[in-house]
Amino acid sequence: MILQTALLIGLVIFSVLAIVLRDLLKSAISLAVASLLLGIIFFRMKAPYAGAFEISVVAGLITVLFVLTIALTKSGDDVRESKIANWVFPLVFVAFIVIDALVMKSLLGKVPALPAAAEAGGFGDVLWRGRTLDLIGQIAAILAGVFAVLALFRKKDKHE
Amino acid sequence: MTPKMLLLPILLPAVLAVVLLLLPRALRLLRDILAVAGAGALLYYAFVFFSVKDLRLAVPWLGMGIDFDLRLYHFSSFILLALAGFLLLITIYTTVRMKDAPRGREFMAYVFLTAAFANGAALANNFVPLLFFWEGLLVTLYGMITIGGRPTSGRTAVKALLISGFCDFCMILGIGLLWSVAGTSTMSDISVEPTGLAAVAFVLMMIGAAGKAGAMPFHTWIPDAAVDAPVTFMAFLPAAFEKLLGIYLLARISLDFFKIRPGSGLSLLLMIVGAVTIVLAVLMALVQKDLKRLLSYHAVSQVGYMILGIGTAIPVGIAGGIFHMINHAMYKSGLFLSAGSVEHRTGTTELKKLGGLGREMPLTALGFTVCALAISGVWPLNGFVSKEMVFHGAVETGSTIFAIAAWVGAIFTFASFLKAGHSVFFGERSKEVPAVKESQPAIVLPILVLAGLCVLFGVYNKLPLTLFIQPILQGRGEAGAHVDFTAHALAVFNPVALISIGCLVLAFLLHAYGFRKGGRKAYLASEPIHNLPGMHQAYDLAEKRVFDPYDQGLKVIRGLSLGLFKGIDRPIDFFFEKIVTFTGAKFTGILKKAHNGHYANYLAWCLAGLIILAGLIGLLAQ
Amino acid sequence: MIILFIVLPLIVAGLLPIIGKVSRRVLPDALANATLLALLVYAVVAGRGLIADGPVLQQLSWLGEAVNVRLALDGFSLFMLMAVSLVGLAAGLFSIDYMEHYGAKANFYALYLVMIAGMNGLILATDLFSVYVFLEVAAIASYALVAFGLGRDELEAAFKYLMLSVVASAFLVVGIAVIFGLTGQLDFAAVAAGLKEVNAGPVLGLVTAFFLLGFGLKAALVPFHAWLPDAHPSAPAPISAVLSGLLIKVSGVYALTRIFINVFGLTPALSAVLMALGAVSIVVAALLALGQKDMKRMLAYSSISQVGYIVLGLGIGTPLGIAGGLFHLFNHALAKGLLFLTSGSVQQATGTRDMDEMGGLAKRMPVTAVTNLIGSLSIAGVPPLNGFWSKLIIIVALVQAGHPVYAVIAVLASVLTLWYYLLMQRKAFFGKLNEKWAAVKEAPFWMTAAVVLLALLCVGVGILFSSTVTTWIQPAADILADGVHAATGSWGF
Repeated sequence: MILQTALLIGLVIFSVLAIVLRDLLKSAISLAVASLLLGIIFFRMKAPYAGAFEISVVAGLITVLFVLTIALTKSGDDVRESKIANWVFPLVFVAFIVIDALVMKSLLGKVPALPAAAEAGGFGDVLWRGRTLDLIGQIAAILAGVFAVLALFRKKDKHE
Repeated sequence: MTPKMLLLPILLPAVLAVVLLLLPRALRLLRDILAVAGAGALLYYAFVFFSVKDLRLAVPWLGMGIDFDLRLYHFSSFILLALAGFLLLITIYTTVRMKDAPRGREFMAYVFLTAAFANGAALANNFVPLLFFWEGLLVTLYGMITIGGRPTSGRTAVKALLISGFCDFCMILGIGLLWSVAGTSTMSDISVEPTGLAAVAFVLMMIGAAGKAGAMPFHTWIPDAAVDAPVTFMAFLPAAFEKLLGIYLLARISLDFFKIRPGSGLSLLLMIVGAVTIVLAVLMALVQKDLKRLLSYHAVSQVGYMILGIGTAIPVGIAGGIFHMINHAMYKSGLFLSAGSVEHRTGTTELKKLGGLGREMPLTALGFTVCALAISGVWPLNGFVSKEMVFHGAVETGSTIFAIAAWVGAIFTFASFLKAGHSVFFGERSKEVPAVKESQPAIVLPILVLAGLCVLFGVYNKLPLTLFIQPILQGRGEAGAHVDFTAHALAVFNPVALISIGCLVLAFLLHAYGFRKGGRKAYLASEPIHNLPGMHQAYDLAEKRVFDPYDQGLKVIRGLSLGLFKGIDRPIDFFFEKIVTFTGAKFTGILKKAHNGHYANYLAWCLAGLIILAGLIGLLAQ
Repeated sequence: MIILFIVLPLIVAGLLPIIGKVSRRVLPDALANATLLALLVYAVVAGRGLIADGPVLQQLSWLGEAVNVRLALDGFSLFMLMAVSLVGLAAGLFSIDYMEHYGAKANFYALYLVMIAGMNGLILATDLFSVYVFLEVAAIASYALVAFGLGRDELEAAFKYLMLSVVASAFLVVGIAVIFGLTGQLDFAAVAAGLKEVNAGPVLGLVTAFFLLGFGLKAALVPFHAWLPDAHPSAPAPISAVLSGLLIKVSGVYALTRIFINVFGLTPALSAVLMALGAVSIVVAALLALGQKDMKRMLAYSSISQVGYIVLGLGIGTPLGIAGGLFHLFNHALAKGLLFLTSGSVQQATGTRDMDEMGGLAKRMPVTAVTNLIGSLSIAGVPPLNGFWSKLIIIVALVQAGHPVYAVIAVLASVLTLWYYLLMQRKAFFGKLNEKWAAVKEAPFWMTAAVVLLALLCVGVGILFSSTVTTWIQPAADILADGVHAATGSWGF
């Protein structure tokens, strides 16, 4: 339970860091860590393919794209920001946490637990039998990711 | 002869118009042949229709008593015949005259389209189809003037369109009133007493008809068009077609739709319009320095005779008016065509630059002379006959003043044509124009045909009078009395005719005096009158278009719009320009400041939005 | 074979990079546009026959064994497929000339087709999680396409777009998870049935809010709109056209409408929230558009404003309102696609998007200017163009449903719309020709052809609006109206 709580807190902290940090690279790494933590939480909560999906798609693909974007962007330090802007996110975030806590507390007993039968069946079986269309979608997402990398990494000098 | 045949005079020219428009320039010969053959076919059918005389085609159309109703009877068949005759002559003339004009093909198409609309208007026996065809003429009128291709052609076209549009608008109002008074829109069923509302309807419709014919004060576009539009157009629309249609409708209005009695107020109104038109327009014509403008003012002046004749409401006067309509169409067309012939060869119609062309262009000169004598009312040409009838009618009403006005008109008409003919064809050969040849046969032939008809209708006036005019007036006047207008015809030994001839002599003397005074320059022959005290100033004002209701109207409208602009538009504009823009810009500025491109900021909005939405939904759901 | 709508573009997309090695331009151009044309023809010709007897549910089998690929086609989805193929084709044709100088054309088309496939998949999907997956497919492809120019602005915009978009995705996943938790189902019909049984008002309210955030962000409704004015102008013009014309509508409006109206059911509370969101978007974005100097940014704000109209119309929930909203969706897809394409022509010819630098371009680029004018007037709602009719229907529906205040807002905002579009016309196309652009030429053939196609459609649909409405809009609106009818009052939160 302590590990669970630590993981959850770590997830929140790294997520917040990903937003608040000024250095884009550090921010990206924070996001990757947050995703990783989330994946671990999924695994621990006996949702193995949710975890796999999380880590493969989110932590993997999106972060790759993300780091590429940062790498391609020259240092963006010259963006000037107002002081107020720095306060907006933390304030709203705190408000969100408070309201979230209130709402979740009232919801806690009301959401029925998943039927245990959903856990039955192997990983591949569920994916193939139950979610074939998603498979096509995943293929498409991977295609999109590959093409994106191809497109963003192409040599630009030919046409400039 | 089935009733369906009545569609032919409308559809044939309409189809021809489209075909002519589509034929490429390379096939000009085919185009000309088609046009002349089509016009010939129309003339043939017009003769056929004239012999049939009685035919009716009524097809239910829009409901509420609005039928597509065409009626052929003696009057409309006569108009149809006249229209077809002019169409053929104009077409022949156009094949040569508009040969190299930039939009010649379009012109030909407009001519036939006009013929289609005109035939339709002449045949229509229901107000709604009548208006349809009548308004269609506006389009071709506009189109044909713009073909003139001068810088001011567009403006003149708009002027013509607006003036004619105004007249047509009056007519529509009049027709609407008449419809509600009579309870039907079938023209042959209508005959009302011109009292109260019906009198208003009469005046409005009269404005429409007289405006189409070019009576004062709706004439001002005609002299402008004389300069800006192709001369063929002048011979075609203002000289022939519009007179025929306008006077046809005016005659229908005052003979059929309304029972106008001699001496009634409306009769008097018509006669005043006629008399004023005669005198003022002829005075303007007298001093013109350009042949086409001179002719165009006469085209206005002569309408006065027709309106005066019809306005007398006395059979002989009405017959004179209608007879004058057909006569006028012939000689005025002939005159415009000869002016066109002169312009075709010399490139100008300014009287000052021309002179002594009679030897080089003898046939044109002959045609012009005959037509000019006819319009001046010289014995024994057709103009003499019809004018005599109008004079008699005017004298019979007892208001001699109108007869005097008509005579005054006759004096100046002759004087101005003496000046015009003298300047162009006789006298010394001018040096400003190089040697020229007679125009091509296709140009001369229509002129000579028209001149010949002027002689024919004068000498054998029994022919047109018994054939065309009398049937129209059959049954009017004393019941059962046989109508015969040939009595006065060419008789010279009666007071009226003697006065007329006296007028002509006076006009000749006037011209001779002016000629002498102007240093033997024919184009200056009208200067003594021009320079009379009082007249000169009036003429100057007229030249400045002070009397042109269109120009004055424009000034009023401009003033009005300036007032509205300053008084209403600007404050509204200020409201929008300053107050609305300012508040808009303020809001926009605030919103723009909020969009600072800061990611955290945007994310915050999203979360705030989420919280608000969740709260809102929770609130609403309770 | 409805699955072709998803699989065909995917297969072609997979082949394109390989083909690109052989032929750099011609084959990718031809193949990609042929694919889009085939989809359009399929949707227009075969599609109506398929749904003649009501909505179709197709279950696919693989090697004789039934697999869980279930696709639904009804009036609404067919209408959306048609719109996607049509605008997609126009943008594809435009790309033939426009993408020439970007390089990597085969790659571009591959991404483009993946995006189309993602949208088509979303339209045909029958369960919540598939909706999410295809939403992500289209989104990932669109991130890359926004950044396709590789310039600084493009990358930054793509980044911001991605970052806000994943927030939306996250909330959607949470929402879907909660629904799954409540009902144990993901299929639309099963979820709708399951929701009737469980009484979970507050939870459902929260899910509704999550979905509103998720789809509202995809649809760029105020206050979730901030990514759009950065992302859309930065993308290459044909991509801007598809993003603004299609993507925000498919992944935002379509998904939102489908789920709220056909699955959850449109309750009065939800209707009120949707209408409020729509009205706020209309006004705020219109005001923002007014202050823009960048042509594409102005168009982007205008998109937000027009999506507001669509949501406002759909939110009324009456058959007329839904029909008006859908019709406006279609019209806006045509007109905004057209406007972004013409702005691309201008940008390519002059190298700038700043309207203050333009001026008098109508003299040099008459076709572009005229088509742009048509698009502007259409969106501003000037009769007889298509946009006029859809706005009119929405306003009439508002009045009928008893929302005069919203009707007045819609009318006033439409004046604002006309205002900023006229501003654009004046600054960019009319007035004195800026001497800098004396040598500017009209856009190349395919670019001109694409904009003329869309402009003709704008005029044609405007003139034949009643037949368009009866053939395409009405079947779609009926499906939604049935949904409203079936679900109203069945559950309340």
